[in-house]
Amino acid sequence: MISEKLKKNIFIYLLLTPAFIVLIGVVFYPFIYNIVISFSNMNLRHIKDWQIIGFRQYYKVFFESSQPDFYVIFIKTIIWTVVNVFFHVTIGVALALILNQKIKGRSIYRMLLILPWAIPQYVVALTWRGMFSYEYGAINLIIQKYLNLPGVEWLKNPTEAFLACILTNVWLGFPFMMVIALGGLQSIPNELYEAADIDGAKWWQKVKNITLPLLKPVMIPAITLGIVWTFNNLNIVWLVSNGGEPSDQTHILVSFVYKAAFNLYRYGYAAALSVVIFIILLLFSLKFMNKTKVTEKIY
Amino acid sequence: MKIKNKKSFLVKLITYIFLTIFTIIVIYPIIQLVSISLRPGNRLLSTDLSIIPKDATFDSFIKLFTERPFLKWIVNSLYVSFVVTISGVILAALAGYAMSRFNFFGKKIALLSLLTTQMFPATMLLLPMYIMLVNLGLINSYLGIVIVYSATALPFCIWQMKGYYDTIPTTLEEAALIDGASNFYAFYKIILPLAAPALVITALFSFMTAWSEYVVAAQILQDTDLWTLPLGLKSFEDNMTSEWGLYAAASLIVSIPVVILFLVLSKWLVSGLTLGSVKG
Amino acid sequence: MINIKKIILIFFFLLFFGCSPKKNDPNRIVIWHQMRIDERVILEEHLKKYMEIHPDIKVEALYKETETLRSGYIIAAIAGQGPDLVYGPSDQIGPFQVMNIILPLEDLFPKDYLDKFNPKALTYYKGHLYQIADKLGNHLALVYNKKLINKPPETDEELIEIGKKITIDKNGDNQPDVYGLVWNYTEPFFYIPFYTGFGGWVLNDNNEPTLDNEANINGLKFIQDLRDKYKIVPREADYNIADMLFKEGKAGMIINGDWSWASYQKAGIDIGVAPLPKIKSTGLYCAPMVSPKGYSINSNIDKEKLSKVIDLLYFLLDVEQQYYTAKELNVIPTRKEVFKYEDIKNNEIMKNSLLQIERGKPMPVVPELRAIWDAMRPNYQAVLNGEKTPQQAAKDMQWLAIKKINEMNE
Repeated sequence: MISEKLKKNIFIYLLLTPAFIVLIGVVFYPFIYNIVISFSNMNLRHIKDWQIIGFRQYYKVFFESSQPDFYVIFIKTIIWTVVNVFFHVTIGVALALILNQKIKGRSIYRMLLILPWAIPQYVVALTWRGMFSYEYGAINLIIQKYLNLPGVEWLKNPTEAFLACILTNVWLGFPFMMVIALGGLQSIPNELYEAADIDGAKWWQKVKNITLPLLKPVMIPAITLGIVWTFNNLNIVWLVSNGGEPSDQTHILVSFVYKAAFNLYRYGYAAALSVVIFIILLLFSLKFMNKTKVTEKIY
Repeated sequence: MKIKNKKSFLVKLITYIFLTIFTIIVIYPIIQLVSISLRPGNRLLSTDLSIIPKDATFDSFIKLFTERPFLKWIVNSLYVSFVVTISGVILAALAGYAMSRFNFFGKKIALLSLLTTQMFPATMLLLPMYIMLVNLGLINSYLGIVIVYSATALPFCIWQMKGYYDTIPTTLEEAALIDGASNFYAFYKIILPLAAPALVITALFSFMTAWSEYVVAAQILQDTDLWTLPLGLKSFEDNMTSEWGLYAAASLIVSIPVVILFLVLSKWLVSGLTLGSVKG
Repeated sequence: MINIKKIILIFFFLLFFGCSPKKNDPNRIVIWHQMRIDERVILEEHLKKYMEIHPDIKVEALYKETETLRSGYIIAAIAGQGPDLVYGPSDQIGPFQVMNIILPLEDLFPKDYLDKFNPKALTYYKGHLYQIADKLGNHLALVYNKKLINKPPETDEELIEIGKKITIDKNGDNQPDVYGLVWNYTEPFFYIPFYTGFGGWVLNDNNEPTLDNEANINGLKFIQDLRDKYKIVPREADYNIADMLFKEGKAGMIINGDWSWASYQKAGIDIGVAPLPKIKSTGLYCAPMVSPKGYSINSNIDKEKLSKVIDLLYFLLDVEQQYYTAKELNVIPTRKEVFKYEDIKNNEIMKNSLLQIERGKPMPVVPELRAIWDAMRPNYQAVLNGEKTPQQAAKDMQWLAIKKINEMNE
């Protein structure tokens, strides 16, 4: 007699196995390979005959003086991630709340607001870069004409260039959170709202006490992964700042890795830097997951 | 009662105005893409800020279909994305359910490891992935790409499904099991329909992953016949002189299937869950 | 339930449909290239002709964007795969050779054949021939709008004079509506001509950087002056902005490479191409970098295929093909005999382009060049931003270049 528990366990493993086979094959092997390389001297001169050299690449990551400094880039990456995700989620959830109501033209708004996500990034990122042009860009034109403020030299100064990248990325990223939130809102039973109405609750009370807590289990995966993806998002910073301009100061950790690996063929160094990024993100997610108790059930 | 109606009308009006202004700001860069696609002479930027350029022409759109195998790229991409979407939905629906309902040995580690697959910068994984695919004979085949894309999209989708399943009370399955249903029946007929909104997100996300991915496709697909849209679009790019008109026109067309998919799937973004089904 | 089963069946059917890897066919030659759109069209025509002459051979050309081509080829070749021929600019050779993924070519072609080429087309590195080019160029020159300028400047002083005359602010909003000169001046490659004009060069015979010198300081100051003192250049200009202004007729001159000239003609600008001016104080001409683009053979190639690939190369590099290409694209060919044709000899743009090439300096192919670009770029932009003086920047460029080269060569 097969026990119920054993039957259940077999069922579970059957459900999970296909997914995990694919994952192990495709992701874990390259992952291990990278860890091995990070301990090696693989670069231009040692491309096929690399050897393990211990922690030297890691030493270089932390202590080698570079322009700009590792720690400066690290802080910048954190600011980049926090600011982006904050706006993605806030704007996304707000729009989802509005678009969940039965208002006229809801489909049209939804369709238009998902465009930043749907459209291929390359041309749009370069269009944004064009909008930030000091003399000819739309943004400065609006600032000067309608706000009567002097034009900003967006792409020439490091802080402004960074801001430009953030603005572009916020624009690109909020539709995703909006879609997730729209999905999540469907999981909240209407009766809860009706009960609150009977109790005379105001709309912001309803949002605070019903909507947000019950959106959590659906939003948390998106937010966690959103943080990880934004942290590692090379494209936008690269395209809007034209590869780190001005003077290599507009970088986040990944764009820096990309430059090291593919411009100067320092594969061992780049692997070590990638592993460091990975550990940072891993530690963060562990802490975040613990705090939001996400691996357990909620009902 | 009159005051209440006035208030809600005012609120509605403000909401509409806010929403409209916001939407216009959001689609402004997209409108610029339209301008670029209508501009002759291959110009990305222009000092003329009018939306329809003075010498507007549909040349880029025509060229796209007559001088480039754009249609073939669309077909290829649709094929790959469709396969990835279906496999993504099936695998994530199953795995997410397991993660949500059951406490088993190694669960926490499994969830964590899903997350960790996302934390590595993708460009670093290219060389070992290529070597592995070469050894498996999957280079230059769609099977290879589909596997990689599924692996890329799965972690998020599994997490997403799990999160949504978590909001569905287990009492529903328990009732079904008591009535004599099998585990699978309870899952398939009762829980899954209620998780429709999450399936929508999974489908949309898987589709987008396959539809817009460039780096891996560039490394794996060696045949121009097999090119997907991102590779095709990249061919408009040149070190310095890209074909901006074609690029912008193609970008606009490429976003249409995604929007259509979203509108179609929106039908299932409805609440299927009511407390009533659990009472008694 | 039936519906679901159908979908799953279709799904698996499609899945198997998708895996059809081509086996290693000895009669199939693959070329990876980064050719521009107009060059690709010509290549396809050449290949069609070749396949008509040799019906048993199939040649496929795959386009990859330059950087993707470089990294993609490296990855593929290291894994023992990759195309039979790889086509690109000469500076690919350095890293490819060090990684041992291309073949030496001097023993595969007879010496009297190689003599038929412009020596700049044969790229040697560490004593061996690694690339044979079919196009010479990639060089910057001075392109001017004939409606605004009838005689191009021959010295830097004339450049400034003409620039000042043209830079006018028509509507009084304190911003010029037409600029004398625009170009992508924030990128080191576009600065090189002025650096050489003042007497400098990027490396010495030992492949060590030579960036800390008077020439660099004077060159940097010159660029600054063009923008801040003489005000003939926009405050912020990257490649696309400069391109836009020139195409709209809002700039008298642009410094851009041979890949762009046709697009200006297509945009309706009546252009003239002139060699870059001479720097009066040094008496030297501004010399841009010149780089050939050509074919290299993958070291992973099958021995039996090699002879077929060489046969294809003979065809692609032949005088007839090069003449056709030169006629259609205005690019400089590499076979000396092409210049016997009248229409090539007398083409105004080609004449000036060739003159510029002769005054130019070949782009170094050594991998160290990359490190030098990466070292120059941030410091160069710091000077433009006013964060560093030219003297400090020159010193820092040198220091950073040495550092990066050491890191690359560890």
